[in-house]
Amino acid sequence: MQGIHLNDVHVHFDHPSGITIAVDGVTQQVPPRSFVSIVGPSGCGKSTLLAVIAGLQPATSGSVDVNGRRVTGPDRDIGVVFQEDSTLPWRNVRENVEFAMQMAGVSKGERAAKAAAAIELVGLKGFEHSYPATLSGGMRQRVALARTLALQPGVVLMDEPFAALDQQTRIFLGAEVRRIWEQTHQTVLFVTHDISEAILLSQQIWVMSYRPGHVIDVIDIDLPDERDASIVSSPRFNELHNRVWASLQKESMRGFQDVETA
Amino acid sequence: MAVRIEPRQEVPAKHLTRPRRARWRPSQGVRSAAASAVLLAVLFVLVQIGVATGALRQTGLPVPTDVVGSTLGLLGTGAFWSDFGRTCLEIGASIAAGCALGFGAGIVFWKLPLLGRVFEPYLVSFYAVPLVLFYPMMIVLVGINAGSIIILSSVMAAIPLALNTRTGLQGIRPVHLKLARTLQCNARQTLFSIAIPAAAPMIVAGMRMAVVYALIGSIAMEFTTAQNGLGYRIRYLYETFDNKTMFAYILVVLILSVVLTVLMALVERVLLRGRR
Repeated sequence: MQGIHLNDVHVHFDHPSGITIAVDGVTQQVPPRSFVSIVGPSGCGKSTLLAVIAGLQPATSGSVDVNGRRVTGPDRDIGVVFQEDSTLPWRNVRENVEFAMQMAGVSKGERAAKAAAAIELVGLKGFEHSYPATLSGGMRQRVALARTLALQPGVVLMDEPFAALDQQTRIFLGAEVRRIWEQTHQTVLFVTHDISEAILLSQQIWVMSYRPGHVIDVIDIDLPDERDASIVSSPRFNELHNRVWASLQKESMRGFQDVETA
Repeated sequence: MAVRIEPRQEVPAKHLTRPRRARWRPSQGVRSAAASAVLLAVLFVLVQIGVATGALRQTGLPVPTDVVGSTLGLLGTGAFWSDFGRTCLEIGASIAAGCALGFGAGIVFWKLPLLGRVFEPYLVSFYAVPLVLFYPMMIVLVGINAGSIIILSSVMAAIPLALNTRTGLQGIRPVHLKLARTLQCNARQTLFSIAIPAAAPMIVAGMRMAVVYALIGSIAMEFTTAQNGLGYRIRYLYETFDNKTMFAYILVVLILSVVLTVLMALVERVLLRGRR
């Protein structure tokens, strides 16, 4: 049973004023070697769902299996790229990329070879000895991506990795992630609130509803595998965009009203 | 066709390929040490002129060139080296013990928040108390020797470092701890590979305070009651009206503090490499 299998996952948060249902019964699967995105309005529980798969957040009920193994806690075979800058400012690019492997006890020689390959893959060749302080936000996210990929995890989870970047950098890095995925064909689950980004990158999109969060629509992206940023202007892209937007619109409005009346 | 994008180069490439040559700037510590050296030199010249023109009374302030002369003269005497050695031993031992104690306490207070909450009010209030006040008590307990001075100076040095270490560790960005969890780091890896390096700027700032406190504590306690040491000698010379030699000793203490500042600036450069 390869890939990611979600089986009726619920996540509730208890707090003094009551219970928040963040994830309400999600049963889905990410087929092996495929790229799936979750889109949804802010506060729909998409990041919570990702945290459950990463083993960082226990599910209230239900279960998650990754490549045939039940998720009970964090696992190095599940690579995570965070939204926030997670580079280590006291290590240069090469040392940052080697960090995950170092923690996993990979030998020095193997580390150096894999780090060099990962740095090349994310397009940071020549910056091995730069410290994060001298890099732009987009380059730091490339470092984080290289660190995750160098460990060659069974699945990669990305939690809005480009949300903090400017629009142009986002599009460039999105295209880069697509290019990298075409080379590695790792199983990827990507969380975003940007519809275009989701369509550009994925083979399938799950649309999540506002609280309580569950998957209200699954859309297969039948665009050609070989695609670049120019596909954004194709008619099929627009159709898909409208389809996702129609599903999302209702939900976003509901979330908006909830905030207004709260 | 896949898009291939080169990384954006917001920083000039020459700076990245040759960071050391391209823009070397001395650290804050080195610059402040240089500034204090210049200030000292200006003061030296002003006093020299003041005394030579009779604007300043020689009984209050000796001629600076005489002070330098008698300082050089001191270097040949065994008594000076005995005082100097004793003070250096006290300061060195207090820095070492104080740093070990403060750093360890800071980590324990972070790891065991309950203990941290219990002890923090005491630490904060002790931080404000001139601990030199407890010196008479220490003399009764330990005796008039380097031991009692080292113990109190170590405690003085340890407090700011313990507080800074704890604050630094509490301020670690949550994403770094999340990273440690997803990589299944064990407690030792999380502490040494994530937590301590992440808190390093605060810890180093605490170390700088620890060094200053060890210096102040040692000299001040020698000044109060001791049988040798630079502080003791300054007070003795003051009481015997040997102004010129007293200023020579004061100059030695000033030089010692500048040397310590420069050393700390170097330590900071090494420990905080690549930051900012």
